[in-house]
Amino acid sequence: MDQQGQNGLLRTFRESWRNRGPIGLVTSGGLISFYLLLYFTDRIDPIAASLGFRSKWLFYGFVYCLLMIAGAAYYLSKHGNSRYNRVRIATNVGVQVALAFTLPLVMPMFGQPEFYFSYVWPLDWYKLHPQTLQAVPVYLAVYSLGTALLAAPLLAYFFGKRWYCSWVCGCGGLANTFGDPWRHLTSNSTRSWRFEKFFVHAVMFVAVISTFLLFLVHFVNEPSSAFHTYVAGDQWWSMKRLYGAVVGSILAGVVGTGLYPIFGPRVWCRNFCPMAAMLGLFQKLGRFRIAVKPNMCISCGNCTTYCEMGIDVRSYAQSNQSFTRAACVGCGMCAHMCPRGVLKLENAPRLQPEKRRQGLPIVDL
Amino acid sequence: MRIVIIGNGVAGMEAALTIRERDAKAKISIVSEESDHFFSRTALMWVASGQLSHQCIEPLERDVYPRMGFERVRARALGVDIEAQTVELAGGRPALPYDRLLIACGSRPRPGPWPGTELDGVGHFVTLQDLEWFEAELHGGPGKKGRPQNPDAHLEASSQNSPYLPRKVLRAQRNGRPPAHPAVVGGGLIGIEAVEVLAAAGIETHFFIREPWFWPIALDDRESGFVTRRMQDHGVKVHLSENIERLDGTTSVEHIHTDRGQYPADLVVVAIGVMPNTDWLESSAIKRDAAGGLVVDQGLECSAQNVFAAGDCASVRWWNGAHRPEQLWYTARDQGRLAARRMLGDQVSYQRGVLYNSAKLMDLEYTTVGLVNMNIEGEQNWYFEERGRVSSTTRITVAEGRVIGFNFLGRRWEHTVLTRWIEERRALPWVLEHLGQACFDTELTPPLQISQAEKDAPLFGPAPSVMKETTRAPLA
Repeated sequence: MDQQGQNGLLRTFRESWRNRGPIGLVTSGGLISFYLLLYFTDRIDPIAASLGFRSKWLFYGFVYCLLMIAGAAYYLSKHGNSRYNRVRIATNVGVQVALAFTLPLVMPMFGQPEFYFSYVWPLDWYKLHPQTLQAVPVYLAVYSLGTALLAAPLLAYFFGKRWYCSWVCGCGGLANTFGDPWRHLTSNSTRSWRFEKFFVHAVMFVAVISTFLLFLVHFVNEPSSAFHTYVAGDQWWSMKRLYGAVVGSILAGVVGTGLYPIFGPRVWCRNFCPMAAMLGLFQKLGRFRIAVKPNMCISCGNCTTYCEMGIDVRSYAQSNQSFTRAACVGCGMCAHMCPRGVLKLENAPRLQPEKRRQGLPIVDL
Repeated sequence: MRIVIIGNGVAGMEAALTIRERDAKAKISIVSEESDHFFSRTALMWVASGQLSHQCIEPLERDVYPRMGFERVRARALGVDIEAQTVELAGGRPALPYDRLLIACGSRPRPGPWPGTELDGVGHFVTLQDLEWFEAELHGGPGKKGRPQNPDAHLEASSQNSPYLPRKVLRAQRNGRPPAHPAVVGGGLIGIEAVEVLAAAGIETHFFIREPWFWPIALDDRESGFVTRRMQDHGVKVHLSENIERLDGTTSVEHIHTDRGQYPADLVVVAIGVMPNTDWLESSAIKRDAAGGLVVDQGLECSAQNVFAAGDCASVRWWNGAHRPEQLWYTARDQGRLAARRMLGDQVSYQRGVLYNSAKLMDLEYTTVGLVNMNIEGEQNWYFEERGRVSSTTRITVAEGRVIGFNFLGRRWEHTVLTRWIEERRALPWVLEHLGQACFDTELTPPLQISQAEKDAPLFGPAPSVMKETTRAPLA
């Protein structure tokens, strides 16, 4: 894919940008620097203040929305001929602009806390902290608990984790818009799959256990005890601070977005996001699947190449196997790219094994 | 058992895998002049357009040869000695002995019958070498990443008549620029693929089609007009009913002359069909049909003992009794698997079942099931054109009061459901009533709606066909 780019400046730029060329590496470096400045220094604050934002986080939210809108325009110019793509991207951008930027901006003007409705525990790990639940009004605490423990798993069971990862979530939204030019860079090697399986479940485990520990120290332990300090203290090495720095800042921001131009746009979602891991388990048990039309696949590789989660879709398609993978975020690009219309996302009762057709025109004599 | 497979396309590779699954000890040699790795030939156009890399179109990991114990022989096969049971190889290599031989050497492009096709800048779009030529002309070179390590290994051992010889690239002559006046000749699938690649590169292309409309073997004039309009929307100059007379130029092609006029051309892709790649078997005592296809029986065995054929080069028996090749990806795969079982001694036979295929023509999905454009005795056609949020065409062929075929453009359809309806001998009103069940469109696509008046619209007579004689529809 990295052609030698002699078809004019635009093509040379685009190839370099999209295929780990110098421009791609510089883009990655720029993103990483931005996130380091944002999370670990105060350099962004004066810029945010000069633009009239209450905090650097609202400024970041504004930039985030702009990138998503620009990326959505780019994505739809290429793939907008599918109604699924149009509705999905419009919803995702709409949710981000309304629930993750405008509402948090406006709510304090009405005496309400700055609340991000579209981020759910365990992705927003702080949502279910005992302190948070006590600090917000009751209706918001009920919302936090209800979405995390009831609505999210149920919806994932019936519609797959895509309802969140590809329609609501801001991380997924940025990946599918701004990150779309790099989606073919996601590795589909066995090695990357082993890495993903270990790390995504490890982070999920840590997210759940740490939330449990926070409740434990809050309701059981004395605030002055050593255990309390280790778990919920304010020193940089306390569990609470470490999780925020490692998972929330480094993995989700610096690595997750900074490495878009190198490892594809779903580095965070695929390898580290505790929400994706958890919803993936419900998806695996649930009704979502990718249906394969038997004996029509020509093994071209468009589906596998353009899968942003590194799933080797082609291997299922060429063996006539409808499937559900925990990793699949249901972006629908495999079905969209397929030149033979072999793949289709659907929510349906689980298939009986005998419906996996043989389809071979072989007759035993 | 010593098994030799000529060709590592889908038929050869599926056969090798099927044999290995059953017999861990068989010595399997795969002879290929074209490439080191098995790749999907149907995906060449996306590599040429830059959408996929060379490695993306390889369905299996590259270590499949050592992992499965396949011996890979990069050489041109020169002939088969059916008495001694050996395959002769080019380049002075020792002959390969076999107990069972599978010939799965596929197709080669049909050369243009006009003067001037030997000029530089005239090529085809069938082999890996064609792809590299096309990529080099359009983009200045094939993608570096994922390029096969040894694409030209066959050179030392090849003959001049090989379809796997690299062609001269004219890009340097054009000061490093892509062609300004490319032309594609031949109104079939490979032709439109080449046109799409050129259109994607933003180059105005002339598309010369001998017939009065594009792809008459599969589409009728109205359906074809649908596709032609899409091509024109993308800036393609489509020339219908225009015959090439000659190409001219000093060393490289400069003009293309037709019966309607003369056009500048600095790159010509000749895509007027493929033919079985079997001229290397001329002196071998293996029966071939007039077109060169290896005549096989229902067990895919050739006229010589222990020699089998599968894929594009095998002339199999069709539903109407004629022998000709089935040049499709999945039939090649099925034939490879079946030939392998037969080579292992299974008493299995090849039966094709209801025909089906699909393609994508520009941005239009195409699905066909059953007998369409086949000149069936007493055939009638029902046609509906959808214009709205989705543009699509639906054509259903009816004979003796039952549905025998479907042709669709613009939407996706589940061919297994349609196949079942044909086998169940359903009548047209029933099929129209239940058509939604066969829909395979992506989610949220507005459903196809057909008014009762449209459903009751009169049928029209037989669709134009390349089949000269009418045939009775087989009892499904």
